[in-house]
Amino acid sequence: MKKLLTVALALLLASTLFAAGSQETASTAAPKEITLDWWTWDPSMVDQNNAIIAKFEAANPGVKITQTMVGTKEYWTKIRIQANQNKLPDVYTMSSGYVEEWAKAGLMYNLDNFVKNDDTFNVFYKSIFDVVKGISGTDSYYAIPFALVTTALYYNKDAFDAAGVAYPTNDWTWDDFRSAAKKLTIDKNNDGKIDQWGFWFYGRYAHIEPWVYANNGKLIDRTTMRFAPNQQAIDALKMLTNLVLVDKVAPPQKDMTSFQQQDVFQQGAAAMWVDGSWFVDTLRKNVGDSMRWGIVRVPSGPSGSNEMTYGWPDSYAIAPNTKNPEMAWKFARYVAGEGLGLDVYMAGKIPSAKKLAEDPMFSDPNQQPGADMNMLIAQASGPMTTSFTQGWGEWRGYGGGETLGLNGAIDAITNGQLTFDAAIKKATDSANAVLARYYK
Amino acid sequence: MADITYKWHKSYTPWLFIFPTVLGLTVFRLIPIAWSFYLSFTDWNLLAKPTFIQLGNYKELLASEDFITILLNTLQFSVVYVIGSIVLGLALAVLINTKIKGISAFRAAIYLPVVTSAVAVGIVWNWILGPTYGIVNNLIEAIGITPPYWLGDPKLVLNTVASVQVWKMSGYYMIIFLAGLQNIPAETLESARVDGANHRQSFFGITLPMLSPTVFFVLTIAIIDSFKNFELIYSMTKGGPGNSSNTLVYDVYLNAFVYYRVGFASAIAYVLLIVVGLLTVANFYIRKHHTQPLD
Amino acid sequence: MTKKQETILRYVVISLVTIIYIFPFIWMISNSFMSEKNIFSVPPKFIPDLLFTNQAFDNYREVFTQYNFGRYTFNSVWVYTLAALGQIFVCSLAGFALAKMKFRGSGLVFSLLLLTLMIPVQVTIIPEYYIFMKLNWMDTYLPLIVPSFLAGGFGTFMLKEFFSQVPSALFDAGIIDGVNSYQMFSRIYMRQASGPIATLFIIAFMNNWNDLLRPMLYLSTRELYTVTVALSQFQNQYDVQWNLLLAGSVLSVLPLLLVFVFCQRYIIENTMNSGIKG
Repeated sequence: MKKLLTVALALLLASTLFAAGSQETASTAAPKEITLDWWTWDPSMVDQNNAIIAKFEAANPGVKITQTMVGTKEYWTKIRIQANQNKLPDVYTMSSGYVEEWAKAGLMYNLDNFVKNDDTFNVFYKSIFDVVKGISGTDSYYAIPFALVTTALYYNKDAFDAAGVAYPTNDWTWDDFRSAAKKLTIDKNNDGKIDQWGFWFYGRYAHIEPWVYANNGKLIDRTTMRFAPNQQAIDALKMLTNLVLVDKVAPPQKDMTSFQQQDVFQQGAAAMWVDGSWFVDTLRKNVGDSMRWGIVRVPSGPSGSNEMTYGWPDSYAIAPNTKNPEMAWKFARYVAGEGLGLDVYMAGKIPSAKKLAEDPMFSDPNQQPGADMNMLIAQASGPMTTSFTQGWGEWRGYGGGETLGLNGAIDAITNGQLTFDAAIKKATDSANAVLARYYK
Repeated sequence: MADITYKWHKSYTPWLFIFPTVLGLTVFRLIPIAWSFYLSFTDWNLLAKPTFIQLGNYKELLASEDFITILLNTLQFSVVYVIGSIVLGLALAVLINTKIKGISAFRAAIYLPVVTSAVAVGIVWNWILGPTYGIVNNLIEAIGITPPYWLGDPKLVLNTVASVQVWKMSGYYMIIFLAGLQNIPAETLESARVDGANHRQSFFGITLPMLSPTVFFVLTIAIIDSFKNFELIYSMTKGGPGNSSNTLVYDVYLNAFVYYRVGFASAIAYVLLIVVGLLTVANFYIRKHHTQPLD
Repeated sequence: MTKKQETILRYVVISLVTIIYIFPFIWMISNSFMSEKNIFSVPPKFIPDLLFTNQAFDNYREVFTQYNFGRYTFNSVWVYTLAALGQIFVCSLAGFALAKMKFRGSGLVFSLLLLTLMIPVQVTIIPEYYIFMKLNWMDTYLPLIVPSFLAGGFGTFMLKEFFSQVPSALFDAGIIDGVNSYQMFSRIYMRQASGPIATLFIIAFMNNWNDLLRPMLYLSTRELYTVTVALSQFQNQYDVQWNLLLAGSVLSVLPLLLVFVFCQRYIIENTMNSGIKG
């Protein structure tokens, strides 16, 4: 045993040295070299990003980019602490959900001069830049969007064909949608259990908000900054929850706990589904040719205009105290699309760089959903809205808190645990308690 | 312990022995804990400087109905977990404390869920307990009973998750009990057998009393572990439906890492600390006054 | 009941119990041989679609080649072996002192250790992060090794309990031989402790191995990733690659199983003269 302890002690000392040694890797830079730190949150992109860095460094001698990749869940904790210590990386990924909070806290470089003096809008869509500006609640550009994500109605062509229902179109009404959903809700083996639902949703933001906005609804009163769904929004929520309670063409949330949410549609358990456009990528990878599917606009409601889209950009921001703002701007533009190929984009995310979005391969005819992809481009140039506020994740019920907030309230309706009115009242009270902390 | 006059160690020796522990304890545990205590009186979003708000967080907690629910959930989870773990862990240990062929493989198999990630365990159980096609519900239906919503029913969900946690961790308690069982001299049991004791008599009359230090140890560890239920809740229910399977640890996570209300999260954590602390003190008290020493 | 019947009955019961415990793992293995579209099918498919085709090991191959899993496994093994060995060393010293030596403040130290055991990591991780940032330990293995080394509350508690239970005859024999404190510790007490130490090694290694939060927060250079961080690569902002995640999860459990099987022999060593006969 003594021997074992000696060995352990020796190993221990050696390892401490070894472990300490690895922090010496930061290169001692040559005098004129510029080093930029770049933080991103998508671990599956490490290799692609390294390739991008290599290309940029080759085109810009003397510039060195260090990439830090943090998992999506830990990213915000870590970068918030960096911000708190005034150690923000030169260029970092920014989510629309935090743009307002960070812009108002002065944690992002004001890009107005760069945007104005550059050929920015020859290269990028101004409309997408303006969406970020709108979400920031300021009059300046604080972030460079690299991709826009929107929402779409996914439909299973095989299921539509089998039920003899015509495919959805971009001008479908809610009645068209409901009557199709009815025909697509099928008990295939007559065991009293539905095997294929016409539609499915739960309280998730990307399942609900598209319908609210497609009916010209508003969840937030922007003058008082309080949660105050207008009549159009209530109508949309009522229509959705009635799909479960009255029409019985969609399952209550509690019936679907055995599924991972993105699998319900893929496995044919629901013939229609509304979610983010990024699932085009997932469906291409997972479903392959075993199922035929398409995407259309989320149907407009009786008060809707067939124009409004629920969409938001993912962006890069620049640290306010960066030592090399020009080079950071140059690099941010580069990784926001100028220097990229379409292949590094997750299918369904719409590039903010014109040359990429207008690339015919965006709607690759050899991959599903083919020409349907053009609908996403059309959405990107139309009007767009979101309900992002400070504290959004908390009042909306998002991520780890998705059983609470508005999400939890909607699930309580479909699960039969609360009446519609009681649930909306509960959601309103809790949302306003949250909003009152941020907006006095 | 024998009473001794011979000094086998110098007065500073114990400090040499515990020095590394005290150092680590101070730097890596006590300082962060003290810091969190300070944070529990602040409003802090991690971005700006913390703002001191006195008892604001604690007042908000006590005024919140949800918080009472969460506190009760936490206690319920613990009771199910502690009782389940001890009973099942001991039963497993007794079952596999034998020298039949291939027993190590069986032990390893029972230990598997302990080392399997909570994410995978959560996904598999969600699927087994699924409402329409889940294996369990299909079996229940086959005997003509309407199956419950294991994860969708607010009254049931907490017990479901706690039971899965018991299932996952029972192999771990089994190992500790096994080590305890093997310290019981075979002669003691053999002589009881010669005296005509049956299995049950020798278990309750000899094994269990001799195991009482192990039971106490497991009890303490199980109480502490019963509050560390974040991962499984995250992967099975995310605290839902509503707040029905939300616990203090999960709520700490939500507030600290989803809402970035670090001060508020620290206040919840201190309530949790008080609860665990009280239970542990009670546990030590009971041991001191209600168990007999060995030897 | 004859001895033979009893053995058979025991086998039957143990097998049934084992099935309940092993089933989800079997599911994981079976799904790790499926293409992504077949995972989580409801109603479930049990026969993997890739098995018996030339793509059978595709998921595993991808995990190893494209995601460099071998390297990450190696990282985790050496980092956490060190952390566990260190913990055994430090905790046995402390546990021995707390169990066998009378000194002022021992009660306080022990209570504080227990207290730290109770606090969930989510509570202290943010202050802890600041400490490591000040120590300039970011992006090294030190935050994964040193605290587990020096502040093993569980190990100290466990070994203290064990040392207190060692029959006092051994202690008295030591006194009669006139041993000093170090000899008492290493020659008399540690010799008895192979079972608890093996148990502690399993537990310390396992707890660290499955820790995701710390490596995720403290490591950013890819070459330094541990297995849990590597597994998180299969999840991006919006989606999870389940086939790879499950293949990786199966692989990540194997070292733990090896540790368990290896250590189990030490735990069972004690059984040789005290096994309860069935």
